[in-house]
Amino acid sequence: MLIEQLINGITLGSIYAIVALGFTLVFGVLGIINMAHGEIFMFGAFIGVIVTTSLQLPLWLGFLAAILITAIMGYMLERFALRPLRSKQGVSHLAPLISTIGVSILLENLSHHLFGAGNHPFRASFAEINFQIGSITIYLVQIVIFVISVILMMGLSFWLGKTKAGKALRATAENLETASLLGVDTKRMITMTVIIASAMGGIAGILVGMAFNSVTPQMGLSMGLKGLAIIILGGMGNVKGAMAGGLILGLAETFIVVYGDSGYRDAIAFLAIIVILLIRPQGLFGQKIST
Amino acid sequence: MVLEIQKVCKNFGGLSAVSNVSFTINKGEIFGLIGPNGAGKTTMFNLITSMFPLTSGDIIFSGQTINGLKSHQITKKGICRTFQNIRLFPQMTAQENVMVGEHCRTKSGVFRSVFGTKFQRKEEAKIRSKANELLEFVGLMDYGDVAAENLAYGQQRRLEIARAMASDPQLLLLDEPAAGMNETETSDLFQLIKKIQSKGITVLLIEHDMPLVMKLCDRIAVLNFGKKIAEGTPAEIQNNPVVIEAYLGSEEDELYA
Amino acid sequence: MLAELINPYHFQVASFILINIILGISVYITLSTGQLSLANAGFMGIGAYTSALLTIHFDLPIVLGIIAGALVAALLGILIGIPTLRLQGVYLAIVTLGFGEVIRVVFINWESLTKGSVGISGIPHIGREILRVLKGFGFDPKVIGLQNNQFIFLSIFLLLFIITIGVIWFFRRQHRSRVGRAFAAIKLDEKAAESMGINITYYKVLAFAQGALLSGFAGALYAHVLAYISPADFAYHRAVEILIFVVFGGSEVIWGPIFGAFFLTLMPEVLRFISEYRYMIYGLIIIILMAVRPQGLIDVNLLNWVKTKGKKRGQKHGTGNTKSM
Ligand SMILES: Nc1ncnc2c1ncn2[C@@H]1O[C@H](COP(=O)(O)OP(=O)(O)OP(=O)(O)O)[C@@H](O)[C@H]1O
Ligand SMILES: [Mg+2]
Repeated sequence: MLIEQLINGITLGSIYAIVALGFTLVFGVLGIINMAHGEIFMFGAFIGVIVTTSLQLPLWLGFLAAILITAIMGYMLERFALRPLRSKQGVSHLAPLISTIGVSILLENLSHHLFGAGNHPFRASFAEINFQIGSITIYLVQIVIFVISVILMMGLSFWLGKTKAGKALRATAENLETASLLGVDTKRMITMTVIIASAMGGIAGILVGMAFNSVTPQMGLSMGLKGLAIIILGGMGNVKGAMAGGLILGLAETFIVVYGDSGYRDAIAFLAIIVILLIRPQGLFGQKIST
Repeated sequence: MVLEIQKVCKNFGGLSAVSNVSFTINKGEIFGLIGPNGAGKTTMFNLITSMFPLTSGDIIFSGQTINGLKSHQITKKGICRTFQNIRLFPQMTAQENVMVGEHCRTKSGVFRSVFGTKFQRKEEAKIRSKANELLEFVGLMDYGDVAAENLAYGQQRRLEIARAMASDPQLLLLDEPAAGMNETETSDLFQLIKKIQSKGITVLLIEHDMPLVMKLCDRIAVLNFGKKIAEGTPAEIQNNPVVIEAYLGSEEDELYA
Repeated sequence: MLAELINPYHFQVASFILINIILGISVYITLSTGQLSLANAGFMGIGAYTSALLTIHFDLPIVLGIIAGALVAALLGILIGIPTLRLQGVYLAIVTLGFGEVIRVVFINWESLTKGSVGISGIPHIGREILRVLKGFGFDPKVIGLQNNQFIFLSIFLLLFIITIGVIWFFRRQHRSRVGRAFAAIKLDEKAAESMGINITYYKVLAFAQGALLSGFAGALYAHVLAYISPADFAYHRAVEILIFVVFGGSEVIWGPIFGAFFLTLMPEVLRFISEYRYMIYGLIIIILMAVRPQGLIDVNLLNWVKTKGKKRGQKHGTGNTKSM
């Protein structure tokens, strides 16, 4: 029982971590909270539903389509909601936050019109496959989710730490002006960051769809809020912090459902950050993009 | 004694911006604080006005230890400052800027303000007329309605002085008031600071314009790499080999410019 | 003849415009010290639930219920405002957003008190209460040629109108005083403001509490105008909607949120076909405004321009009051 819950918690937590990574990348490089990330994530999930359930195509095509479309959405977000503000002088630092809130409600309501308000089931072909180890049941879906999450996180860490583009991105995050003096094309870096973050959101969308077997237009908001809570928990712009924060939240939520009052599950994230911000405003793991 | 700096230290991480500096300022004098770039002068101001906490040491103002107080409490006690990189309220008019400066000497709260009590109306009129007096004092009487951001550089520096004086300070801290000023503006500034002194206000002045410092100051302390390397009258400072050495190391002829 | 002019539906819409104006001002007032609070929908909920529960369970007069609702919200505002003072900009926005979420979750889960997501119905209705009291004095709407129903909506509107005028008057007076200057100074440069002797802690908490008070007040009014509330009324969408009033109208001057709330509440009612796409349009408005006019439609320059125009016209005709506003 305990171990099963632990597995559930880790599965949930690894999804949270991926959602949070999208927030943290954008914040680390641009210093902006992307309030539309949750909705981009939700679009990824819907693309997954359409490809696998409506069109009956294989899952890997679902992933591909979701990545493609959310990447394009990321580009549009940067191009139309963020870039115009960057060139302007004397714009309040709240402007990009508000602008992405605009994108988020646009996307949420667009999805109502495109996909309908209801709940869409997301059935992976291997949904029922499970393994019995002693008294513990593990579903293949859980393993797939966990493995994909780990690969994504390791890939991102490797990319940031070892590749030239990743190093340029970190330099940009460290100091935009210095990076551009050093010959980094910061404009491209910024666009790329938003695109990568959004595509990761798209992948996370499909994972969540598989995990909960359900996709709704509202999931963007609730997941977005949790992602925000996690990056505050883990330290804004801190990649490892986002992963750790995601896991902590996933486990905490799973256990409160089992041992406490499940109704308050959605409040945990924010109660935690309110407390954290009061005792340790820089987050549990400090700030700035690091591998 | 108006201000007593006792063994003050300030570290930023590993960097020791001010280390073990002591000096005292007497009532009514103009005291100069000079030193090469990055010597720790502005940091000293930030410590006196409590914008940063001290690492160690004591700051005593009119016999009271003031370290640990908040910035606004220190202003209320009678110390006010200007900023090296002008920090006016850009969209407010010159007059409003000075009126903000009077904040801690006035009282009207929400209730009185909203219901416009007699007390409040009187106080508001007083604030306004005092602001106008101060604008006149610094030579900006014709610019009361101009937004601070639209003033010329030298005017902005003088407006900062007026704003600081609006809090009725006993001790006025000026951080490079002559920076960016031309010769006539600088000589006006000289007159202005003398006038401030004649009102009985003690002045602590950071300035890179050496002729101005030498003419104005009664006494001077010299900082270099966060340490005090000399203190004395302008004549003593000018002939102090340690000071010359410190300046030669960085900005050769500034001392004699 | 009065009877033909009074369409309850129109007055209902007008009443919502007024409540939204108060909500818009509540965000504006906190923002006038540079703090963006997204908790005002939550505070609105606190005000609404407090007043609704007190009037239902303790038979408290509506007036006292509304005052209590506003005060509880303000108290909570102070409790939240003090610790979050250390947070700058986006951190504050997120924590206040989170606070709103926590409140919503509590409303949904504390079923014994709040009836959960079903919400509370049968809340004493201001209009009916006014009618009841007046009838007690022997008044009958028929005397002025109105049906009960018409009179109820008319009285709500008039009451809200007076309240809104009072609120605007209050904050305009405050704005042009020592307190208003302190707010503005903090918004423009917090450090410089503190160095000039302004107790920024006090004024930031004050602005936060005033915002909470005002949104709690608006929430309580909302409860007694609609007679029905549920947690969904005070969720993220409400927070965003209030924010949009300010962003659209303008956050520099009080006329900004007033215009924003007026226009954006009226628009979907007038253009029915828009109603369905309302939030999508909101989204687009925000994105476009942030890119081309981040200070909102009404700003200081626009007001000055209007004023000088007014002055000129006044001089031409020799009648205008040059000391406008
Ligand atoms: N907030 C801060 N954090 C870290 N280091 C700081 C900070 N403020 C100042 N310093 C460092 O402290 C040292 C002293 O700076 P300070 O501004 O006091 O010099 P200064 O004497 O005023 O120089 P200048 O004549 O150029 O104005 C410098 O090395 C500076 O980089
Ligand atoms: Mg300096």
